[in-house]
Amino acid sequence: MKWYILKRVLWTFVAMWIALTLTFGLISASPNPGQMRATMSCAAVGENPQECREQFRERNNLDQPVTERYKNYMVNMVTLNWGWSESRSQYVIPAILDAWRFTAQYAIPVLVISTLVGYGLGLYSAYKPYTVTDYTASFVGFFGISIPNFWFALVLIILLGTRVELVPTYYQSGIPIQQGWLSLANLRQLILPVTVLLTASLAWQMRYSRAQALEQMNAEFVKVAKAKGASQYRLMIWHVLRMAAVPLSTSFVGSLLAIFWSGSVIIEQIFAIPGLGLMTYTAIVEQDTPLVLATTLVTVFLAIFGNLLEDIAYVILDPRIDYGNR
Amino acid sequence: MSGTEPLLSVESLTTHFHTEEGTVRAVDGVDFDVYRGETVAIVGESGSGKTVTSESVTKIIDIPPGEIVDGSVTFDGRELTGLSDEELQEIRGDRISHVFQNPQNGLNPVYRVGRQIGEVLRIHEDGISDAEVRRRVVDLLDRTGIPEASSRVDDYPHEFSGGMKQRVLIAMALARDPDLLIADEPTTALDVTIQAQILRLLEELQADFDMSVIFVTHDLAVVSEIADRVVVMYAGKVMERGRVEEVFEAPAHPYTRSLIACLPGRGSAMRRIEGSLPEATDPPEGCRFHPRCEYATDGCASGDQPPLYHVGGDGNRQSPAPVGGDADHTAACVYYGPAHDVSTLEDGGDRQ
Amino acid sequence: MATQRETDVTARTDRETFEEVDWDTQEVSTFNVSRTAVAELLAYGAIVVLFAYDYAVIRNEHPLIANWDVLSVEWLFVATLVAVFFHGVVPLYRNPRMREFYWSRFVKNRVAVAALVYLLVVFVIGIVGPAVMSPPETRFTNRIVPPVGITATVGGVVKTGTWQFPLGTTAEGKGVLKLIVYGMRVSMEVGLIGTVFTVLIGSVVGSLAALATALDIGWLDEVLMRYVDVQSVFPTFMLLLLLTYLFGSELWMIILLFGFFSWEGIARTVRGEALQRSSEAYVTAARASGASMLYIVQRHLIPNSANSIVIGATVAIPGFILGEASLAFLGFSDPTTFSWGRTISAGQSNLATAWWISTFPGIFLFFTVLSFYYVGEAMRDAMDPRQQIEGGGGL
Ligand code: SF4
Repeated sequence: MKWYILKRVLWTFVAMWIALTLTFGLISASPNPGQMRATMSCAAVGENPQECREQFRERNNLDQPVTERYKNYMVNMVTLNWGWSESRSQYVIPAILDAWRFTAQYAIPVLVISTLVGYGLGLYSAYKPYTVTDYTASFVGFFGISIPNFWFALVLIILLGTRVELVPTYYQSGIPIQQGWLSLANLRQLILPVTVLLTASLAWQMRYSRAQALEQMNAEFVKVAKAKGASQYRLMIWHVLRMAAVPLSTSFVGSLLAIFWSGSVIIEQIFAIPGLGLMTYTAIVEQDTPLVLATTLVTVFLAIFGNLLEDIAYVILDPRIDYGNR
Repeated sequence: MSGTEPLLSVESLTTHFHTEEGTVRAVDGVDFDVYRGETVAIVGESGSGKTVTSESVTKIIDIPPGEIVDGSVTFDGRELTGLSDEELQEIRGDRISHVFQNPQNGLNPVYRVGRQIGEVLRIHEDGISDAEVRRRVVDLLDRTGIPEASSRVDDYPHEFSGGMKQRVLIAMALARDPDLLIADEPTTALDVTIQAQILRLLEELQADFDMSVIFVTHDLAVVSEIADRVVVMYAGKVMERGRVEEVFEAPAHPYTRSLIACLPGRGSAMRRIEGSLPEATDPPEGCRFHPRCEYATDGCASGDQPPLYHVGGDGNRQSPAPVGGDADHTAACVYYGPAHDVSTLEDGGDRQ
Repeated sequence: MATQRETDVTARTDRETFEEVDWDTQEVSTFNVSRTAVAELLAYGAIVVLFAYDYAVIRNEHPLIANWDVLSVEWLFVATLVAVFFHGVVPLYRNPRMREFYWSRFVKNRVAVAALVYLLVVFVIGIVGPAVMSPPETRFTNRIVPPVGITATVGGVVKTGTWQFPLGTTAEGKGVLKLIVYGMRVSMEVGLIGTVFTVLIGSVVGSLAALATALDIGWLDEVLMRYVDVQSVFPTFMLLLLLTYLFGSELWMIILLFGFFSWEGIARTVRGEALQRSSEAYVTAARASGASMLYIVQRHLIPNSANSIVIGATVAIPGFILGEASLAFLGFSDPTTFSWGRTISAGQSNLATAWWISTFPGIFLFFTVLSFYYVGEAMRDAMDPRQQIEGGGGL
């Protein structure tokens, strides 16, 4: 098991290296939007675009040979020298450090609530399949996975924000700084973002857990446990949930991150929350290549790290796994 | 062998499954008794309703889609069909326990076997100490013939072979010294040599633990080795009942006869019964077996299944067997009833 | 439980399923198959020739046919429809028993039938609508008109909607209804092209991996499946953002990127199913009879996982539609197309006064995605034998 985990950790580094190389390759192969922007802004103020282009290339070391650039790129990345963000007039790393808290403040509660409630509902509807409760839960599930989160956010703003002015329709980043992260005013302005993100993630968690639990419910050992005299609660928690946790662990981080990434970009753009999502959005709009790169890499690294956690959880949860084979 | 009162008495038990394709009448009015210390075999092809019968006793079947529509199950003087789930939980694993067909998946793969056997003790004995649980689990594994039981308790199911898993499952079933063990094809999924070992083990343990056994199987050869009495089922109905020797030496019902004729080493080698099991959602009128029966008369195709008539003993041949039955040899075929000449059957049998 | 399962098994064996039918007809009537295969190839050939003509000869300067100036994505769409026709409609038409069997199971889910009808309507309007309607135009004289019969105060002016714009107009004066109709085309294109592409790559990689295992080229399987692992770890949405940022955002490119980064699931399923149904047996059999590898893949491996592929595909469609709409909402999709996401985003700045701009296209987007999920679920219930015991499913 130790060897297995060590191998997975090593693999994590390989995956990160692949990710870095890939992004380098993509950027080198692309027409480089940052350069185009620089050239265009030169032309706009009447300077010689050709010269500006040269300047830009020199400033960004684009005139060096590819191997040299690749080497520098890798060294910079590893030493956390991720470059300068033109649009924020700030180094990229501090920018990320500024932003992550604004994302975490709603993402972590959503993660916890959606897992607890989603698994609870999923397990309960698997326990009573094809009853009214199950159908209601399955309808809620379909609703949650189908409703476009950006549209849902706008509808909530129209209904609750602009009509009755029940909740703030956009986020004021001053509030958590002045009144504290847990202040009532901050929590109030998080109601809509949390609702929107929660709807989707809860629905997915519920559907996954219901499907896995239903699969386990038909297993022979559940019948054996029933024949032992186990109570329904014991059957569902001790046997079904514990067993369903094995397949669920393999998709947990991946599926949630997928919802969270697209969700956070959209939600932060709509509610103006200055977190990682909004940073990604503005970086693209402002064609700030180092920042685009940084936000992409942060998400990719998080995904790789999450995958490592999944793999470790998997071997802890499933004693059957053959280490030699993986 | 038989006390005065049966330990378990099943009367006109009827279990349906409500599926998309329609209602499956899996068990359709089944009667039999089990006395203390005896082994009763329920025999039938797959789809005959034998498994559902055995699982309806303590309602292990899934309800819904299953439903016990009618009948009664009396266990040690107590009616089980009306009990709540909580009341049944106290009986399951404690006084009536099960061993199932497929040992491969019978154990939860994520828990150590000792813990899973111990689960039975923890469920039924409040406040039992960890040390006591372990001591008794090791003892059970020992008694079911698992070598080095004291170290094997801490192994996971995937570290056991199929036969060993079945021993673990038997140990689990015996943990609370039950009065009745329901073994549903406990050897079918195992290798032939292991099958024999498990059968012998079950026989020993039955004497050891002084319990009654319901042995559900499709395998008549096994029945002759292990059972005292036999209940032959077909399409949810009892076709024939009787002591093992009687049924094997003088099978009465045409279905039983063809089953026995199919046994290897019995006259016509390896025959198969012509035709196939009826659709479970739409069983035939009259005798369930008539589409495949070579003696069927016009009367067999209508009305209901003939009742269980006495076989043999001239005096009571004409009268239906009393409901709830006893050790008498009975068969659900018109030829044992009034206005039929049973010798037709005998002749036909000889012709074969 | 046991009895039920037994009856299910017998019920299944009397009836045909996609898998068995494909197998049989293709073995028996090779003549028919080759005729359809030729027809399919001809269709693709015609598309390629027309495409070449449009780009090389008339240089895309004036409309190709009548006044339909075929856009790049529409070439892909036509090819996709041809593929769907030959691999979905034709087999269903050929096998009335299979069709009726699946249909009889599918119709048990009434909501799914309604969803299917809705999707067909969207599909037909999406095809026909843009062909007969002129594209939405920017007209500042028609700025922000409310839907018919609704009175709203816009910028201090009280306006009441008329039948000229049944669902009102945007801040640029475009009719919301027209935008919705044009959006139907976009959504169908995104969903169908992306999915066909996904299925194509996924089944090729999946069967290649399975074949490699069966033929004892373990390392090839290992490499392919490792790659699948890596790709499934990457957050697709962020990758798309990066790629559209770096390489531009034409619709056909976004769709192909969707397809290119989403085939892992199908590849895993195809590989799994092929291995599970003891691929070795047919591979040896087919090799003994001198069949080529391509033949084995086409005739045995892929038909055997047809059900899983179809089920996987129906779930992929709504995912792609939502993904494109999200990109479009953020403004990162093709600015020349009328995606629902873009219309919804256009209404974002006027939420308080002109709620209809974002609301109506959103309703269509929501119901389209919901319908696809519903139909997908009902199809799984109808096609997946493992699900048969569980019955109904859905509402
Ligand atoms: S009742 Fe008729 S059909 Fe049934 S077994 Fe007897 S003879 Fe055959």
